[in-house]
Amino acid sequence: MTPAFPFDLLIVGAGPAGLSAAVEAASRGLCVAVVDEFPEPGGRMLGQFHEEKGHWWVGRQVAEQLLDKCSALGVKIRCGVSVHSILRSGAEWVLKTSEGSMQARNVLLATGSAEIPHPLPGWTLPGVMSIGAAQVMANVHYVKPGRRGLIIGVNVLAMAISRELSVSGVSIAGIVLPGIGPITGKEASPKESLKELMGLAHLAPSPLMRIGGKAANALGMAGFVSRFIPRSGIKIWDIPLRLRTVAVSINGRSQVQSVTLADVNGEGAVIPGSQREELVDFVAIAGGLYPLAELASVAGCPFVYAEELGGHVPVHDEQMRTPVEGLYVAGNITGIESALVAMAQGRLAAATISGDTGLLGQHHDQEVQEAMQDVRRVRASALIQFRPGIQEARDQFYRKCGRFQREKNGIKEEG
Amino acid sequence: MNTSNLIVCRCEEVTLEQLEEAYQSGCCSARQIKMKTRATMGACQGRVCRQMLDAWVHLKNPQLPRDAEQLAYRPPIRPVTFGQLAKGEV
Ligand SMILES: Cc1cc2nc3c(=O)[nH]c(=O)nc-3n(C[C@H](O)[C@H](O)[C@H](O)COP(=O)(O)OP(=O)(O)OC[C@H]3O[C@@H](n4cnc5c(N)ncnc54)[C@H](O)[C@@H]3O)c2cc1C
Repeated sequence: MTPAFPFDLLIVGAGPAGLSAAVEAASRGLCVAVVDEFPEPGGRMLGQFHEEKGHWWVGRQVAEQLLDKCSALGVKIRCGVSVHSILRSGAEWVLKTSEGSMQARNVLLATGSAEIPHPLPGWTLPGVMSIGAAQVMANVHYVKPGRRGLIIGVNVLAMAISRELSVSGVSIAGIVLPGIGPITGKEASPKESLKELMGLAHLAPSPLMRIGGKAANALGMAGFVSRFIPRSGIKIWDIPLRLRTVAVSINGRSQVQSVTLADVNGEGAVIPGSQREELVDFVAIAGGLYPLAELASVAGCPFVYAEELGGHVPVHDEQMRTPVEGLYVAGNITGIESALVAMAQGRLAAATISGDTGLLGQHHDQEVQEAMQDVRRVRASALIQFRPGIQEARDQFYRKCGRFQREKNGIKEEG
Repeated sequence: MNTSNLIVCRCEEVTLEQLEEAYQSGCCSARQIKMKTRATMGACQGRVCRQMLDAWVHLKNPQLPRDAEQLAYRPPIRPVTFGQLAKGEV
């Protein structure tokens, strides 16, 4: 049933950002609805668990707490509903969904992120999946993706999810590099991958950062990769991280049976004669994440490219407002960060929207400022950092968006 | 590694070789290559291959600015059924 009256706020995406925003906005008195295309609310949190200072952070529990608050506040949550279009009609937004239209005065896009594959011969065989699919299979649906798997791609997500899989009793043959190919550039060389790991190691203390630290300690300086990394790799939580090995092809007739591996030098060139087969029955490709922002584009929001944030990001200010009236963003759609940052961004977006709607009264500025500081605080202490230097990248992004806006308004830059 | 028959766009089964041919025939932006080959135009609307196509074009032409020409998204951004169309819900 679609109510005849428009919601004050319609949120697309019931992940950490969307649910946190819903709680905050509803507790300030807004009439809020959330839609999500997954059958269950919670977003990516449903499949996440990390070890943090000796205890496990379990995303599903955090999602349940938020959902309890939502239901106490009367937030309407509709799952299994895809939003496939958004358009402006007078002072309202109309969202076209797989179950009819919904109207709202304000829309918050909290659609999260999607994965990037690494294509290599055989990547379309059954048994090859994205690393996120392996996570969802194991941790959301409780189905093992296979008996023994290989992870292609060295990044923080590959590490975190390999660990989750091995805790779930799935054997991991190793984490290897994708190899330099026609689509992956030199960032796939051992040198660059190691740099990324070492970059992570310099950040806040966390088990994931320590992986980087361990690798770096085992390896010495980045320039000496090929001399210091043993061919068998370095073991992290008993998972071999093979920084000198690339996947050349995935083989099998109707299903993954093996992967051809080869050793490379520090620059990523294959060492002749080093090819061999590793027997596995599934392969998970970890090519990184990008902001999922289709609806922002359809709504007419401009984009800016920011590599550190994961690609093209909808233009928005630090209060989560886009240049399109009544359209806001929060969570991974604004750049790839961890679930806790997404939650803080959701709360900030809700404060901004409440302020713009006139609900915060005279304390408006102060409340939004506090929520903004909170995002910065959470970011600085985040356990999982997808990219080093994220706050600097954010600051740069906001400056770029500000310039963009001023140019659009015909205001000349000074100096 | 022989990558010429590597599939890049799974929905429309566009191979790397076809991208290369389109590029050689003068298509240099992701948008032009999309129009020529149908890469990113299938059921998933580029959710899987759009980033790869962008990355490939960028490797070909690293000096081109990345802000300039992003592939557009057009509604419906998810597949819709004839039933939904008939009910006027789209
Ligand atoms: C595969 C994967 C694994 C990750 N693992 C970790 C991890 O281990 N630790 C960590 O801290 N972070 C992880 N992240 C980062 C993760 O994105 C953030 O932690 C966090 O979940 C982002 O929150 P969000 O609310 O922005 O988006 P999400 O949690 O992704 O939620 C977005 C929701 O929007 C819905 N949606 C999108 N488009 C539509 C539409 N058109 N119509 C209806 N609904 C729509 C989706 O169904 C989804 O439920 C992972 C991300 C991915 C993609």
